[in-house]
Amino acid sequence: MSGRQFGGLLGDLLGHPFRTVIFAGKFLAFTHLFFEYGIQTAPAQGPSMLPTFELLGQWLVVSRRHRFGRNVEVGDLVAYNIPVDENVGVKRILGLPGDYIMLDTPGRESQAMIQVPQGHCWIVGDNLAASRDSRYFGPVPLALIRGKVVATIKPFHFQWVEKNPFHRENRSPAI
Amino acid sequence: MSKFLGQFTHHLIRYATWLPPLICFNNYVAQATFISGPSMYPFLNPQYHESLRQDLCLVYKMYAQQNLDRGMLVTFRNPDDPDKITVKRIVGLEGDMVRTKPPYPHEYFQVPEGHVWVAGDGDKSKDSNYYGPISIRLITGRITHILSPWNRAGRVRWWEHPVHLDGDVNAGSLGSR
Repeated sequence: MSGRQFGGLLGDLLGHPFRTVIFAGKFLAFTHLFFEYGIQTAPAQGPSMLPTFELLGQWLVVSRRHRFGRNVEVGDLVAYNIPVDENVGVKRILGLPGDYIMLDTPGRESQAMIQVPQGHCWIVGDNLAASRDSRYFGPVPLALIRGKVVATIKPFHFQWVEKNPFHRENRSPAI
Repeated sequence: MSKFLGQFTHHLIRYATWLPPLICFNNYVAQATFISGPSMYPFLNPQYHESLRQDLCLVYKMYAQQNLDRGMLVTFRNPDDPDKITVKRIVGLEGDMVRTKPPYPHEYFQVPEGHVWVAGDGDKSKDSNYYGPISIRLITGRITHILSPWNRAGRVRWWEHPVHLDGDVNAGSLGSR
């Protein structure tokens, strides 16, 4: 069995280990870039985003098109590099540069507000009681944002993330 | 003519398939980059006021966020503008007490956990004195070599800078280690 019996790519590679390794390397690099700049999926766990995300076992689909906060709006769910840690977190954006945001949790004594500085954002978890977010480590540089969560996957169940609750058309009449 | 086109396309595609590996090399191993601006004067771009020439430097990207030390030249995503990569020198590590320069509002500042204090060598520099300490996770690489111009080309000997040698007060860090 020799490569001459096969045409095209397979014929070039069979019996030529060096060429095969180079081809594999190019293919791996291409695939890596495809995921790096396109879509990534990863498992998520923790109580800080209840009831939006489950405690365990749910996978999140992150759009890398929205890395570094590009085209991101208030109310979007984002994955970000935790500034004081080695891990990746997922939270909701409540303030973009220039917005006025409340420093502490509503209901506490302090009513202090700040303006989100240029190039930063204010992120808060949906489960206020169990979330370490901007209320703990301050505004987060947009450069730390990995991307926007567009869909979730539970076992055998793919679901697009709900519409942004802060958009005018998605608000209930009571607000 | 058709044979020429056929061969041309074949070679074009062959060379184009090298792009993904080269892009990966640039992103994860090392990249050459031009330095713009006078913030690291006179170490980088000393000809800033005389010429439009920019220094060409090598950015080493492997293990960029590990084993950081005072005096290193690091590249990082600007906390003011996430689309810009900035080059500055690390002056304070986490836990260090740094002496700040205007426009920073307080004279001394302790660098919080997970952050570093960066400052430009030159007078006109938007650095930690302007936007505060930066998270270590913003750092993308370190400048290890100057590639051009030839008379200054070579390894960047960051460990010989006063900020590293003795936590020199005038250079900005009082150190704590």
